[in-house]
Amino acid sequence: MDAWVRFSAQSQARERLCRAAQYACSLLGHALQKHGASPELQKQIRQLEGHLSLGRKLLRLGNSADALESAKRAVHLSDVVLRFCITVSHLNRALYFACDNVLWAGKAGLAPLVDQEKWAQRSFRYYLFSLIMNLSRDAYEIRLLMEQESSACGRRPKGSAGGTLGGSEAGGVAGVGTPGGSLPHLALQLRLRVLLLARVLQGHPPLLLDVVKNTCDLFIPLDKLGLWRCGPGVVGLCGLVSSILSILTLLCPWLRLKP
Amino acid sequence: MDAFARFTNQTQGRDRLFRAIQYTCMLLRYLLEPKADREKVVMKLKKLESSVSTGRKWFRLGNVVHAVQATKQSVHVSELVPRFCLTIANLNRVIYFVCDTILWVRSVGLISDINKEKWRKLAARHYYYSLLLNIIRDVYEISLQMEHVAQEKAKREKSMPQNHLGPCVADEETEWLQSFLLLLFRSLRKHPPLLLDTVKNLCDILNPLDQLDIYKSNSGVIGLGGLLSSIIGMITVAYPQMKLRT
Repeated sequence: MDAWVRFSAQSQARERLCRAAQYACSLLGHALQKHGASPELQKQIRQLEGHLSLGRKLLRLGNSADALESAKRAVHLSDVVLRFCITVSHLNRALYFACDNVLWAGKAGLAPLVDQEKWAQRSFRYYLFSLIMNLSRDAYEIRLLMEQESSACGRRPKGSAGGTLGGSEAGGVAGVGTPGGSLPHLALQLRLRVLLLARVLQGHPPLLLDVVKNTCDLFIPLDKLGLWRCGPGVVGLCGLVSSILSILTLLCPWLRLKP
Repeated sequence: MDAFARFTNQTQGRDRLFRAIQYTCMLLRYLLEPKADREKVVMKLKKLESSVSTGRKWFRLGNVVHAVQATKQSVHVSELVPRFCLTIANLNRVIYFVCDTILWVRSVGLISDINKEKWRKLAARHYYYSLLLNIIRDVYEISLQMEHVAQEKAKREKSMPQNHLGPCVADEETEWLQSFLLLLFRSLRKHPPLLLDTVKNLCDILNPLDQLDIYKSNSGVIGLGGLLSSIIGMITVAYPQMKLRT
């Protein structure tokens, strides 16, 4: 009970719970439609989803300030690539929240002349840019860690047991300078790279969580902007998974990726 | 901006801010309604008020658990009167939040055959009881504080020479009311959290008094009272030392 009180005292936590519920409703609605449930039940689920979406827009009022504050903090990072990626990502998030506020004003009847469709498209575009920036940052971090890991494996004595990558193998991967070669050689290199990637992600849970979350989130604006129509079921499932992962990072702060 | 971000990161902070906006709209509506050419503005204010009020329900979902935890904590208060008042007040809050959740279920359309009026009246009644008990506890604390201040004053007067000059209002028996108010003012000035809590509860109680037809006031008074109590709520979130300790 105490844990719930502490968790729900953060407004972001409540918003994430509503997000999880909204995408669960979306997924449920899609499943019910496929299996031919009663239109009454489908209507109720859609209505609940609409209420959740509007409620979340209100809960998010004021998040622009939070995103701008995070962007201000990110400007002081030491690494150039990280600084660029994170700052631009937060700025895009701030713009996304601003568009979202305009949409809320339109839905609440305060600004009836707002073109809902246009502003919705705009907001999804900013959201997509912010997710692309996040994924670029994740890719950069993964590359840094992979280089670190492969050079560390290269420095370990050749007779070390217990590692999936022996010193010579890792040395071979790190020191690949000769492209071309036969197909089995390429296949081996690919396999080694994938193993290295898996090892890096296994050793850094916050990074893995962030990658999975951003990848899942990516499907939502891709679908809404019409770039890659995946269908409401996939969107609902991805949204639900990413919401659950972000709730996890709120419950366990050590799982959050630190810039 | 950093302070604003930290403030709005707390659910309570954000909720108080929206509550302030909601009651400001109510107050502005009351002030602008008699004016002839302000119908559009009044309509927009009404829409804003209703959408903020609906949206705030999401902040209240799950507060049953908060109220149950507060009840468990108030059972361990040392003094008898505050322990009794706070425990019963928190129990009433639990019932209020349960009614509120049922009203939310009705408003999102999950269960349609719920008697809205009955549950709304029930929620208002239990909210009213909880505020009443909080006010009783505040009065008790004020009386303790006044006694304390009066004793201190008496001790100071004993130690000072008897023939001191200067107006001493408390000595004149005919000016009982004036001396009482002065003592009240002095006690509250020494204890700002108690003052804030008393004013907040008094402002809050106007709404259920109106809903239960015990004391009908107009939407302007309720709006002003709600706005004041929301501002005090925001102060206690921003400065936790201003919150009345149990």
